Formats: sequence, C-alpha cells, structure tokens
Amino acid sequence: MRLFGIETEYGITRDDVDGVDPVVESMELVRAYLAASFERRWDYAGEDPHEDARGFRVSGLQQDREEDEFEKRDAHRPFSFHEMKSDLVLPNGARFYNDHTHPEYSTPECRTLKDLVTQDRAGERILRRAAQRRNKALGGEHVRLYKNNTDFHGHSYGCHDNYLVARSIPFPNLVVGLVPFLVSRQVIAGAGKVGTEAQESGHVPGWYQLSQRADFMEAELGVDTMHNRPILNTRDEPHADRGKYRRLHLIIGDANMCEYATALKVGTTRLVLDLIERGAAPVFELDQPVTAVKRLSRDPDLKTVVKLKNGQRLSAVDIQESYCDVARRVLFGTDEETDWLLGEWAETLQLLARNRSRLVGKLDWVTKQWLIETFMREERIGWNDPWLASLDLEYHNVNPEQGLYSGLEAEGQTWRMTTDEGIEEAMRNGPTDTRGGLRGLCVQRFSDQITSMQWERIQFVGGTRSRNLDMGDLFDPQAVRRCAQVFQEATSPAEALAAWSHGKDREL
Amino acid sequence: MKHSTMPERREGPVDPMPKSPRPEEGGGPRRPETGSPDKDSLMKRMRKVDPKQAERYRQRTGE
Repeated sequence: MRLFGIETEYGITRDDVDGVDPVVESMELVRAYLAASFERRWDYAGEDPHEDARGFRVSGLQQDREEDEFEKRDAHRPFSFHEMKSDLVLPNGARFYNDHTHPEYSTPECRTLKDLVTQDRAGERILRRAAQRRNKALGGEHVRLYKNNTDFHGHSYGCHDNYLVARSIPFPNLVVGLVPFLVSRQVIAGAGKVGTEAQESGHVPGWYQLSQRADFMEAELGVDTMHNRPILNTRDEPHADRGKYRRLHLIIGDANMCEYATALKVGTTRLVLDLIERGAAPVFELDQPVTAVKRLSRDPDLKTVVKLKNGQRLSAVDIQESYCDVARRVLFGTDEETDWLLGEWAETLQLLARNRSRLVGKLDWVTKQWLIETFMREERIGWNDPWLASLDLEYHNVNPEQGLYSGLEAEGQTWRMTTDEGIEEAMRNGPTDTRGGLRGLCVQRFSDQITSMQWERIQFVGGTRSRNLDMGDLFDPQAVRRCAQVFQEATSPAEALAAWSHGKDREL
Repeated sequence: MKHSTMPERREGPVDPMPKSPRPEEGGGPRRPETGSPDKDSLMKRMRKVDPKQAERYRQRTGE
C-alpha cells in the first residue's frame, strides 16, 4: 500500500544577462512547456503548511515574513499570484510549477521504484524540453538548469521525498524510528558538495562532503522548510483522507542524479517505514542529531562516529547496517522489489567500507568525488581552487551537452534502472496503478472540462453543481485501474463519474 | 482523531559550521580507489566549465 513521490526544485539561471530575475525566469520556463496558453487550474485550498503532525497548529512559519517581503517586492509585477505560480498538471499526472522562484517538478504518485526513478528522470527531460523552447525564444543556449540543492552562497532549495503512511502509526514512533536512519542515510543518498556553507552565509572551499543539504539542517523536528530546516519535517498535509493517512514529507534529502541513489534513498526509507509499522525498527537515540548530520557529512572517509544517549558511538555505516540487518530479518520474502533492495542495501554498505570505487556511477557523492579528484590530478590544482565549486555545480546541469553526470552517462559509466524509451513514455503517461496515472489520464482525455485540481481531487464542469472525482482514499491498485478504465471508455466526465459511482455502489 | 503530542527535544547550541577533520587526522577528502574516467571526452567537458560559474550563480532560498 506504500506510495511515494519526489518533488524537486531546480536551480535556474541565464548566462546572457546580469541580475537574472528568478520569478520571471521560472515562470517563463514552466510556460514554455505549454503548447496552449496557461489556464488557472490548481486549487490551493488543500494546502496548509501550518498543521503540525505533533498535534497542533502553528500560527506562522519562519518563512512567512520573508514570503511577505517577496510578495511586496513582487507586487509591482504585471502578473497575478496564479500567473506567477503557473501551476500545471501534466498528462503523466505530475505537477510542474514555479515554487519559490524555482521550477519544481513533482512526480505523480508511484508504487514501484522503477516507476519512481523513471518519473524522476522524465522530470529532468521535461525541464530540459522547457529550457530548449525557452532558449529558442531567447535566441541562444542561455538558460541553464541544475538539479542540485545549493547556490554556494548559502541559499538552498529542496528535493523532498514523500511517503503515504497509515495515520494509525503514532507520530512519535516515526520520529524514533526515522531520525537516526535519516541522519545516516546520506552515506547512500548524499549528492556530494565541494566546501561548506551555512544558511545565507558564504561558501568556504577546501573540503568535500557527502551531502548538499546537511549544512542547512538546523533542528531535529519542525514544521518549517525554508528556515530552521529540520531532519524530520512535521508538516501534516496528507493530500489524502486525513482520518486514515499521513504524508511523510522529508526535506533532508539531496537531489540525486544517479538512478541507483534515488532508488536506494526512497527504497530504504520505505523499508524503514515498513519496520516502524511492524514495531520492529531498531531503536537508537542520538545525543545530538543535528550536529551528527553535519559531522557525518563532512567525513568522506566515513570514519566519524557519533554519540548515542547511552554513550555508545557509531559511524553512519554502523547505523545503516543495523537498520539493514533488521530489515533483512523481518522483510525478506515480502516481494521481489523488497528482496532486491535488501540485497543492494547490504552490498552498498559493504562496498562503502571496502571497495568504494565500485559505487562510481551508482552513488552521487562517490561519483562526483572521483570526477573532481581526477580533474585535480590532471590540472594540478588543490581543494581551495574555486574551479571545483563550478565543477560541482556543472555535475548537476541537466543539459546533456554540458552536464558532467550526463557526460558520464553518455559514456555508459552509470548504473541504469530506466531506458530512454521508458523515460519518454513516462513523460506522456503516469503509473497505471496509482491515482497519479489516473490524474494524468483525466488531463489527457478531458482537459477542457476540468475546472480545478489538487492532489486528491479533480473537479469537472457540471452546470449548476460541480462534479468531483475524489481520490483521497483511492489507493488500491485494482480500484485505480477500474476507475481509469471507466474514464478511458466514457465520452464525458459526467458519464465517467456516474459509471464510477454506480460501480462503487454495486461493490457495496 | 486524537493526536499524540511530541515533547520538544532540545539539543545544545549547534555550531552551524562544525569543522571537518583535518586531512592529517584521517579525515578530509580522499581519492577513491578507482580508475580514470575517459579523459579525452570527460576531461575536455570539465575543462570547458567556467571557473567562475559557481561564483556568479545566485538563487533565492527555496524549501
């Protein structure tokens, strides 16, 4: 029943103008993807980042004041709020829009890792295609897009992984089970970074670390996402039936270029959630988890140990191995994907300790370090050379002619879970076994009859009363397929909704 | 539905920039035990990267 998805904010810049306006650039990029003119569709009524999973509602977020200031600054623009957001729902069920001046691609909900990785890669190509159209209008290859998390000047932007979780799991159980796992997950999922920085402070060159985001983690728990960022975000915005589900919204992760790292990041987190659900997750209590995130990130030798409250000291690999061992005992045999994950997780941890070179092309931080150190030897430069931060940035450039990861991929030196044909297909259609694919199908078939959309609902034109397809509890894959078949065969949304409702009544 | 309330777990003041271990102390960057990428194409691509690209690159804070 576990569903997951990834939201990625991309960095955007232009090399032909000084003082790039990120609001306009992000908006223009998103709109460049449209074949027709922009129509306001996204319904923001379901979005409320002030609800806290710890059981209360916050009156304000730390980012609210900054957002107000931006709003004042942006007020002179000849665009409405909706125009600036330019929120699109694509035929594959993904959401593509301008979020906080970054073009953001949110994958449709996925049930398998292969679908998720393919949809994530489809997002890169959609962004790239939008940039090609924008560049054509600008008359040159001026717009650059980066799938990374920092501008090396103290500004970070996110790549959030999301998981559907039963509301019946008490939130404190998620905290206890997840925090040590997330603190150490960077040994697998870190994208690597040259130098260090802190929130809105300068970049300090001279070091290489595992993670792009570790420098920006400032709290263990919290509802904020732009300031005082937490290891475990407590935002309670389920985008589903609130009585039955939570959406675990993790903001600690890096944007990965390596397909293997994306698969393991989300896959191992899914396994830990399965353990928590069964009451089987190992229990660690880190003495200082926020400091631990930074210390572990800043040791690519993986020798650093962090203190637990019971006085024990463990490395990141030790912690991950404990989770992996329990998962192998409890979850082996669940299904094919779980068994694959358990094997890859264990092997990756062994290779990190013994033969890291075999992880080049699989883990981003290892791959980036290998590329940069090769370059340093060739050019006889040291870790303080500012060229290295630029190479770090260009590793994440999504232009296949420029990006360093793309260059490696073109040489066949990266591990692939996807095929190019599969990615092209994922740009057109979402997964057939989740509401994401169903959402996309509705966009494909009845786009001109949709009045508004959010993650859990689609509203169609309906004369005096609106007609809704409610997907807040539509997670059973067979039910999704039945509903999709109804919408595929119907000649109108009204006919589809009537048939779907009649079918559900008969089931009762 | 009743929500469980989580007590705040306080951590001592956090150094926003804890030091990385010095290379001579066993930390710091190390060369992975790997071969080399295809130097003709990848190194060419890397050399084309403007050394000042990161210095010029500025974004607004996102989530």
